[in-house]
Amino acid sequence: MTDTILDKEQKLVQLLEQTFKKLSGKVVRQRRVTVSVEKELVPSVLSYAKSQLGYIHLSHISCVDWPENNNFEIIYILWSPADKVQLFIKTLINRENPEIDNVDMIWKHANTYEREIREMYGIQFNGLVGAQEFILEDWDDMPPMRRDFDTVDYVDNNYTFRPGREDAGDVREEIIKRSGEDIPDFAKKYSRD
Amino acid sequence: MAFFDIKGLVTPFTALTQLGKAPHTVTFPYHKKETAERYRGLHYNNLEECIGCGNCSTICMNEAIDMIHVDGVEGGKGDSGLRPRVDNGRCCWCALCVEVCPTGSLNLTKEYIYVTPDADAFLWTPGVSNPEGKEIISFNSSVETSLGMYNRIPMPELEGKERIKSFAEVMLYYSEKEAREEATRCISCGLCTEVCPAHMHIPEYINAIAKGDDNEAIKIIYDNNPLGELCGKVCTRRCEDVCAMQVRGDAVAIRWLKEYAVGRAETADIIKEIVNPEIKEPNGFKVGIVGAGPSGLTAGYYLALKGFDVTIYEANKYAGGMTMYGIPKYRLPMESLDKQIDYMKSIGVKIEFNTKVGKDITFDKIYNSHDAVFVGVGFQVPYKMGIKGEEAVGAFPAVNMLFDVNNGKTPDIGNKVVVIGGGNVAIDGARVSRRLGAEVTIMYRRRVVDMPADWEEIEGAEHEGVEIMPQTIPVEIITDENNKVKAIKYLKAEMVADDKGGRPRPVPIEGSETIMEVSSVIGAIGQEADYAFFTEEALKEIEINRGRMVVDENMMTGMKGVFAGGDAVNRTADAISAIADGYKACKAIEKMLIK
Repeated sequence: MTDTILDKEQKLVQLLEQTFKKLSGKVVRQRRVTVSVEKELVPSVLSYAKSQLGYIHLSHISCVDWPENNNFEIIYILWSPADKVQLFIKTLINRENPEIDNVDMIWKHANTYEREIREMYGIQFNGLVGAQEFILEDWDDMPPMRRDFDTVDYVDNNYTFRPGREDAGDVREEIIKRSGEDIPDFAKKYSRD
Repeated sequence: MAFFDIKGLVTPFTALTQLGKAPHTVTFPYHKKETAERYRGLHYNNLEECIGCGNCSTICMNEAIDMIHVDGVEGGKGDSGLRPRVDNGRCCWCALCVEVCPTGSLNLTKEYIYVTPDADAFLWTPGVSNPEGKEIISFNSSVETSLGMYNRIPMPELEGKERIKSFAEVMLYYSEKEAREEATRCISCGLCTEVCPAHMHIPEYINAIAKGDDNEAIKIIYDNNPLGELCGKVCTRRCEDVCAMQVRGDAVAIRWLKEYAVGRAETADIIKEIVNPEIKEPNGFKVGIVGAGPSGLTAGYYLALKGFDVTIYEANKYAGGMTMYGIPKYRLPMESLDKQIDYMKSIGVKIEFNTKVGKDITFDKIYNSHDAVFVGVGFQVPYKMGIKGEEAVGAFPAVNMLFDVNNGKTPDIGNKVVVIGGGNVAIDGARVSRRLGAEVTIMYRRRVVDMPADWEEIEGAEHEGVEIMPQTIPVEIITDENNKVKAIKYLKAEMVADDKGGRPRPVPIEGSETIMEVSSVIGAIGQEADYAFFTEEALKEIEINRGRMVVDENMMTGMKGVFAGGDAVNRTADAISAIADGYKACKAIEKMLIK
């Protein structure tokens, strides 16, 4: 039964895999397909999906930071009004020197998403034209959506606190005050921050 | 232009067609729109349900939550006494604090503030600032969907049928993977440390296990408990009763995690290598210890580390006291105890076995030849049941039977045993009798829920086929012509509420007298201490109240230089309290003699 339901999704994966040899696709569920490609192939896959497969709408370009694998993942989300299927095109780019080709000649509004990602993650889009600043003004710190950006640290260094919170206590110390427990120094690194 | 302008005459009346329509103006007085179903507005905290664990404050990425003292909230067992306060100037209403709240006391309401002229209004103590918030909760957490891990990793154990075939250990204990997983459930609030008599550093060693640093965990455990493996197997674990996870789920398996960590060190040498304690130069002071139970061993261990010359006098062949002779080997195997005691010997604790104070050596001699004495004699003498036929052959106290069995003997108990009592000793007696091949019934005066024994022990006994008869009062042991136990006569009881507000009392039901044929009757209704070894002069100075030695806050008795601890002093009568006493006495002895 599931075979018939997922017919058009599986056909899409098949078509894409036949057209692009270095592409692997997967049906996530009904109306959702993801494919992974190398970053050099992204413009070709996007324009093929738009012109040949009916995925005429670019819903979003998203980015995920994976410091564990030293990667950024860029995800292009397309929509076919005819098939009513969402197509996720994913690609990994190296975190050290992050760059990828601009695709705003395929969809004009990709420009906005790309400028946002450039500012928030520090990824260069080759050939992207448009103002360097997007939302942040005079930002000279690490791009703030990178996961190694320490938000609390940034706030502590850039803003002052309103008075009124000095009476904050610590749960562990409150209990130690009552019990008289004596934690040795070598164990303290395992206490809760 | 026409003379008669019909259009100009009629058009104004078209306005009348609007009469039946709803107005587009804002209603007055102004009504706030109903918020979405799971709207995340201002916080509400149920101050009674909150235990002040501070998990909300820890998870908050914006550091918006402080833990503060609130009027009318007193800390106590299982409650830090602190409550969260939210700085809504920093809060982003991600509601992670609600998701991780172990009690579910913290919620978000439909209430919100857009603007206010008073910036301090954003500093918000949920539950205090909005007691009425309870009625308008819109975002809450549930155990099923919460980020907290409420289910304990199950402890592998032998099947009931397998267990009664031998004295093999029942618990199979966590594997490395299971232990790490279980350890990550801990939220490190430390509420447990307050109720632990020894105030062990529980969150610290559990975190060490979670991070894979087992050796560090062992070191942390040995910081104030030299019998970590013993506690890991048989502790009464009051810590787990107040565990934050226990409010809505299962307590973190603190005891089993301790067992896991210390169990990694397989021999005394490995313990020594890992703990690598600093042993101070001999300071010339001598301390004598009466009894090698948990309190005496603990005092001896820490005193020896501090450079004292420690000698423990033990009446029996092995050290461990009640944990050696009172606890069955399927709970605490001999090798485990041996390993821990060998380690103590290796750091310089001397133990004189088979030396009963009062018989083989006088108390005076110990007192005069040492600079301080610690008495940890425990409760060895069983209470009498006070019913007819108690002296018959086949009627004996559980502690005596456990002593015999742990000494390698096989007492003749026949095939139908009745155990009287509801504590851990009664359960031990019953489970040992099952292993000796008898049918076992436990008779207890009150209900099963009133039994002071550990629920896991009660459950274990039931799995092994022990029958529990609650609300049953034995009245007479019937003997045959050879004065051998033949049957037991008992009454059923009903629970009557106590007028003075105490717990319900069992009152015998008239005419409910029943006789059950049995081969043995085992009494387990409590023990007391034997102070016959004290000299008369010593007894003049040492005050004994209701069978327990009276000590000051330094664990010192009325006799100068004589300290005491363990069952014969504290009311809780378990190994961990004895360990705590020994540790405290060690500090006091050091203070008295050196500082």
